Amino acid sequence: MLKIALVGCGKAGENHAREISMLPDAVLVSVTDVEPLMAEQFAARFGVPRYYAESSQMISRERPDVVHIATPPQSHVPLAMAALDAGCHVVIEKPLALNHTAAEALVRQALRQQRKLTIAHSYHFDPICRLMRAMLDDGIIGEPVHVESFMGYALDGNFGLPVFTDVGHWVHGLPGKLAHNVIDHLLNKVTEFLPDDRPHIMAHAWQRDLRGGDAFAMPDELRIMLKGARVSAYATFSAHSRPVSHYLTVFGTRNTLHLDFVAGTLTRRSTPSLPGSLGRLSCGFDQAWKHAQSAGSNVVRFVRGDYDQMSGLRYLFASFYQCIRECTTPPIPYADILRVSAIVDEVFAQCPTQQRQTA
Amino acid sequence: MPNATAADGMTTLVTGGTGRLGSAVLEALLDSGHRNIRCFVRPGITRAHLHHLQKKHGSGSVEIVYGNLTQRGDVARAVHGVDRVIHLAASLRGAPADMFLNTVVGSKILFDAVNRSRVRRIVVVSTLSVYELHDTSPAQTIDESAVVERRPEWRDVYTHTKVLQEQLLHRAPLRERLSWVVLRPGPLYGNTTPVLPARLGLQLAGCLLQLGASAALPLTHLANCADAIRLATFDDEIDSGAYNVVDDDLPTVSEFIARYRAEVHRIPTLRLPLAATLLLARLNEHSHKRWGAQVPPILTTYRVRNLWRGHQYANVRLKAAGWRQPIATRDALDTAFKSWRT
Repeated sequence: MLKIALVGCGKAGENHAREISMLPDAVLVSVTDVEPLMAEQFAARFGVPRYYAESSQMISRERPDVVHIATPPQSHVPLAMAALDAGCHVVIEKPLALNHTAAEALVRQALRQQRKLTIAHSYHFDPICRLMRAMLDDGIIGEPVHVESFMGYALDGNFGLPVFTDVGHWVHGLPGKLAHNVIDHLLNKVTEFLPDDRPHIMAHAWQRDLRGGDAFAMPDELRIMLKGARVSAYATFSAHSRPVSHYLTVFGTRNTLHLDFVAGTLTRRSTPSLPGSLGRLSCGFDQAWKHAQSAGSNVVRFVRGDYDQMSGLRYLFASFYQCIRECTTPPIPYADILRVSAIVDEVFAQCPTQQRQTA
Repeated sequence: MPNATAADGMTTLVTGGTGRLGSAVLEALLDSGHRNIRCFVRPGITRAHLHHLQKKHGSGSVEIVYGNLTQRGDVARAVHGVDRVIHLAASLRGAPADMFLNTVVGSKILFDAVNRSRVRRIVVVSTLSVYELHDTSPAQTIDESAVVERRPEWRDVYTHTKVLQEQLLHRAPLRERLSWVVLRPGPLYGNTTPVLPARLGLQLAGCLLQLGASAALPLTHLANCADAIRLATFDDEIDSGAYNVVDDDLPTVSEFIARYRAEVHRIPTLRLPLAATLLLARLNEHSHKRWGAQVPPILTTYRVRNLWRGHQYANVRLKAAGWRQPIATRDALDTAFKSWRT
């Protein structure tokens, strides 16, 4: 049984604690938050035996196998370094660090200490992503040509609202502000198809609506175009389009796959097999059938308890713990993690957030 | 009763002044002649109502101080030079982490600042839901001597935050000559957007599931609660401690729903008696255990036994302190239902 400790008792920490509690071979032994009241209520709600206000004290007393870091990104690197130096394996919330250089240093430290490191790219192992990879391996879509990653954002939602009512919120301290906090989810789905070390990147960001006054000025729309040697990609972050969507479309030389992360559906679009108007007529029925099939498989996932939105995170944790026990490589290669952080640096270098931009 | 006026030079700090209750409290204070009111407001929050009050009662009546309760510097600035504090700010909904941060951590920072200041009295608005009633007979009227919830994590997040907020007052001994009052109102209502209280039952997919016993619904009208807050803030004869704030002559749950359906919105309603409610709660618990986060535990037997068995609440202590319900329940309900219709 692996002993797990969690640093950070906020919203992301809750997702970690919930998913850890569902794994049979790991137990959350302690939590830490710089605000002891947050740690105390968190421990009470999740049935965690002990809580601390200092992560160093927690690590020295509890000697956990794995430390999960779900604090604001500004503190990821020092906390993770300390945990690695103490001999713990580390899971870090996204973004890994504030810039690529710091991310590289962290990975180097993990290798030096011979400890394992991973990042909470929760959608990377979502059931529909795993299914997509199986279809790719089977050659169903052929060779990928282009991918589109789209992520909507609710400014009035649980994550957005606190940002626009607190000028001291940590999101304001990120180089890319609002978009920086979610851009990993946008890009890690794309980098999987762009193995290029230095893809061509064009990015543009702007603020569509100024909310809450000048103190809250920051881009809330972001468009990125990436081009590698064989595959191109669009990545879109939009805080104003409705409904709030979250999808990935993979255009291949044979078929196109559409992954809807809100509904949890994966559908395949194929060239009609019937000629002319009959083919066009069949398209709607074909799509309806594909959606019905995907919805049906979601019923099965629900019955198996694998349909909640964070089931990808659970799979990631389970895979990470397994790689620790079996001394194998982490589920997300370090090169993939660092490719994302390098692209993030380039995107925000092209989109300065200090001055308000308009469309 | 001593009145704090501009002439006294006493300043009263109000947190949460932009909310439903906050607006009612500000109007009650200003209408009864109080001035030098300082509102602590988060940046980015709509404050049109405060500007309206400033226009109506003069620019010196309400001062707006911007800041966040979770920032010690902001709170110290807000408390500076204040004589009395009315603490209404709380998160009613949102992510649990934000609710705990804003309500519990924010209160801790405020109480610390108050303890280091010259504040003479702090009034904190809590809720009737803080009582632990799962083993208490519904025949017993609940007064302030009842036990406060010892397992708040088994209740809803809002109740949990309010129990912890109250505990903060007891945990850190307050300095001498600082008195405190905790007011525990029932579900608040007024002439604003109708909000069906959780004590009626659950609203799911546009339908209302009326849960448990149909006893008197422990409502508190916003103006009546605001008046209790005014009294608790400025009457120095009121002892430190907790006070229930609940109106008299209340309708039953069924009467309230029937009137709401007849006069406001014919919401499809299914009534589940207590036994059926408990059965549904067990089913919810079992499903949550089986399917995890896919089926959230919104209904638990513990919560049902606390909330939907028809407990009645006493307001005797508040009345003994001099509170008289300013708006009769019948008139308050008539006006509220009329405004909800439009």
